[in-house]
Amino acid sequence: MLILALSNLTHRKVRTCLSILAVAISITLLLVLVGLSHGTLNEISQRMQSVEAEIIVRDRHFDLGSMSGGKLWEKEIEQILQLKIGTNPTVERVIPVFLGRMKLGGLSQNVFGVHPEDFSYFAGNRRILEGYLFTDIESPAQALARLESPNNPQTINYLPLLIDKRLSNAARLNVGDTTTFGDTMAQITGIVETGVAGRVFAPINMLRAANGISAKTAHLFFVKAGNNLNTDQLQQLCDEIETKTRRSANLVANYGQVLEQNFQNLTIFVGLVSVIALVICFLFILVTMHTIVLERSKEIAIIQSLGAARSMIMIQTIQEALIICILGCIIGIVMSFGAKWLIETYQPLMTVEMRLHWLLLAVLIGVVGGVLSALVPGYMALRRDPVEVLSFE
Amino acid sequence: MEDVLLKTEKLCKTFRQGRLETPVLFDIDMKIKRGEFVAIMGSSGCGKSTLMHILGLMLKSSSGRVIIDGLDTSALDDNRRARLRRDKIGFVFQRFNLLPTLNAYQNIAVAERIRGHCIDGQIWRALEAVQMTDKKQYKPGQLSIGQQQRIAIARAISHQPEIIMADEPTGNLDSSNSERILNLFSQIHRQQGITIVMITHSLTAAQWADRIIQIKDGRIVDH
Ligand SMILES: Nc1ncnc2c1ncn2[C@@H]1O[C@H](COP(=O)(O)OP(=O)(O)OP(=O)(O)O)[C@@H](O)[C@H]1O
Ligand SMILES: [Mg+2]
Repeated sequence: MLILALSNLTHRKVRTCLSILAVAISITLLLVLVGLSHGTLNEISQRMQSVEAEIIVRDRHFDLGSMSGGKLWEKEIEQILQLKIGTNPTVERVIPVFLGRMKLGGLSQNVFGVHPEDFSYFAGNRRILEGYLFTDIESPAQALARLESPNNPQTINYLPLLIDKRLSNAARLNVGDTTTFGDTMAQITGIVETGVAGRVFAPINMLRAANGISAKTAHLFFVKAGNNLNTDQLQQLCDEIETKTRRSANLVANYGQVLEQNFQNLTIFVGLVSVIALVICFLFILVTMHTIVLERSKEIAIIQSLGAARSMIMIQTIQEALIICILGCIIGIVMSFGAKWLIETYQPLMTVEMRLHWLLLAVLIGVVGGVLSALVPGYMALRRDPVEVLSFE
Repeated sequence: MEDVLLKTEKLCKTFRQGRLETPVLFDIDMKIKRGEFVAIMGSSGCGKSTLMHILGLMLKSSSGRVIIDGLDTSALDDNRRARLRRDKIGFVFQRFNLLPTLNAYQNIAVAERIRGHCIDGQIWRALEAVQMTDKKQYKPGQLSIGQQQRIAIARAISHQPEIIMADEPTGNLDSSNSERILNLFSQIHRQQGITIVMITHSLTAAQWADRIIQIKDGRIVDH
């Protein structure tokens, strides 16, 4: 009885449109929230995987969320370099990264402090588009001394920064622009193609100094193993590093998972908000269907007098809810792509990911929710005595 | 042997609402032959509509039996009753009960679709029988009340039911419209051989019928 469902829906256009909009908005909320959290984490993990190294080492108390916590010491590099799997020399290079934090482009950014000679491991085949790669000072202590005497004419009294193209575009920063890192002056000295692990790089010793640290500490080690190691051996190497240094070591390839585990709270929060949005949405449909059914009790009684079975009336109620939900899902998906475009245009450092199976899942949730929220009103419609409705209404 | 289409045996109905009991029908025994046009008369509140709802399987009796075309309906479940109602019975109500959001044609089409077949020709024939083919695109609100009742009749006859049950079909109509509707019933009855059970409290209307059943205080007094 599609004709009846359709005529009911078109009879009250405003209400129908509002219901469709409610479904669309909650589907959009769901897709954008999930897409944003996964997209952003995924983008970070992809950037990490662009580093030409297989293993990432960090202190057990280092928090990937805030990028802060326990530190590593550069002298541990020696220990790792000596590790062997079988007889081959195993570790080719250990690349320390000191992380700093600064505000650029309206968002808090992690600054990757690296040795200039290590930068090629981060850049891979990505080119420096403008400016040049920074140089460093031999030790953080020297750098600190220089930063602290700004009147000395020999001083390099600013922190050179290399940023990626995406940040450069988003924050409209070009080579030569100055900014600050805490109390320290900073200047953009180069722009690199997007896709490198960090959005902002600085020379490691100067970054340490800018943070007031004179010791050779680091937050992450990227370990470049010999080319001939397979995944099992790499995993074995991870374990070796963990036992030797008592730090935690993960394969860079697994970094996405590690990140997701670390952001579990975020994922739970996003899931919770989405579920609440959906529940409210389906309550809305339930109320809408309920009023539709109440308003139509006479019509339902007429249909029963014409010999419609209970199942037919139930099916018709479900059909109406389904039409609302499916239209809502379609519009919601279109709106999500709109929201993705808006977010990525006006907040270019955020990434909203859309996966086909999320879209399908959203439609499935819409359809199942629609059917469920029609069941209660449908059942109530059937409980009314048609004779009574026909005689007294 | 006489061909009985509809038969009741010791039919009783008592409405119950919590502890309140309203006995309405008592030991109704009646037979309606196939092809008969019967009028049911009685004063207001005597139980005519209740009886018709039970005969039309919209309501269950408290005790006794309703036998339609040889089939005892008291044992049937709701779905079987709905199917029987769909296939054999057509209702016409005092207040027409058309679906307001659909036009005349669609109102009949919906009934046909509930019955599982929507044959354009049948709908046309029904509209022709009530002389409403030119108004098929009109919604109930755009039709006069006499025209609405004709559409309701077309809806009741489009599937060629065995029996039409009409509850005060002329109750809302003026005398000329009433006459037209009654004429229509009589025509349907004669030409298509459909059995008609019509409730009325107008003696003029009842005189169109072959036979009058009188009900008083829930009992049949004369037939
Ligand atoms: N659902 C119900 N619950 C309780 N009592 C009811 C119910 N339906 C009908 N009645 C009672 O049954 C009695 C018969 O009602 P019914 O509608 O059959 O009368 P009627 O003969 O059709 O009257 P009228 O000519 O005014 O239409 C009335 O007293 C009415 O109050
Ligand atoms: Mg009545």
